[in-house]
Amino acid sequence: MPSTENNLNNHQILDVHHKIGNLTRQLHDALTQLGHTEKLKASVGEIPDVKSRLSYIAKVTGNAAEKVLNLVDDCKISNSVMLAMAQSLGQSHKNDGATILHDYQATHDKLDEHLTDIMMAQDFHDLTGQVIARIIDITTVLEKELVELLIQTSPGSPKVEFVAPIVPADVLIGPAIDSDTNPDVMSNQSQVDDLLASFGF
Amino acid sequence: MNCEIKFLVVDDFGSMRKIVKGFLSQIGYDDCDEAEDGVIALHKLKNNKVDFIICDLNMPNMNGFQLLAEIKQIPTLKHIPVLMVTAEARREDIVIAGQAGAAGYIVKPFTKATLEYKVTLILQKVGFK
Repeated sequence: MPSTENNLNNHQILDVHHKIGNLTRQLHDALTQLGHTEKLKASVGEIPDVKSRLSYIAKVTGNAAEKVLNLVDDCKISNSVMLAMAQSLGQSHKNDGATILHDYQATHDKLDEHLTDIMMAQDFHDLTGQVIARIIDITTVLEKELVELLIQTSPGSPKVEFVAPIVPADVLIGPAIDSDTNPDVMSNQSQVDDLLASFGF
Repeated sequence: MNCEIKFLVVDDFGSMRKIVKGFLSQIGYDDCDEAEDGVIALHKLKNNKVDFIICDLNMPNMNGFQLLAEIKQIPTLKHIPVLMVTAEARREDIVIAGQAGAAGYIVKPFTKATLEYKVTLILQKVGFK
């Protein structure tokens, strides 16, 4: 019995796979016949870009989280040291308050610096937020084009002139995720300063 | 250091506005207002005294380029230095900012030292001590 059930399941799986294959082929043929392959090319071409952007988000948020956690660990240590100093000051019978105060100040300054670094590490929110906004733009365009395609390909629907959305060439694209490979993208502040200086700014 | 200098920080991300304001406070500048886009910034500029603008590029409603263009057309505002602090790092955007009259350009992510250096440099150029 179990063997028969397994055979039935395998047959069903193969049947579904075969049907998906047929649907995919039909979609491809329909796209080609309707001339939509060119119009969708712009959106489809953005998909690798979307993948890069998602990878960038994962990398940046991961780095920020690791940085913050390490700094928090250091802060906890500094905090413990400061507590020990305060306890030592309270128990001390000798006149070494100045030394303890000096050490306390140094530990306080170090802790303050870590807290500033933690604050700075939150800049990932701005960078990833801009990239996410760009991904949303791309997927919105893709969704709109696919809906238009569905309308056009549904039986009995009147033929409507399809107008591909125009993406302005000068649209701001957000954080550079390809500065290593794109010579037109500056990868650090020094390059920005040099570029501005070369133009006399 | 002239601690009476009034800053305006313009960025659509609250976390970034907080970071910039935090840095400015640490280097001695506590008088700092904020705006989340160019439209709000322009309104504040027209109604309040501002000595220095730190502005993002990529913002809704009115982006940094558009705000800069508006400022440069208003006689009472065009003298205010505008320091761009933005994730946009393309060559053309940087050059456009320079040509449009931006006083400086910092790319994100940036350090407190970079911000302090640029702010100090610009203040010296425009005559603040």
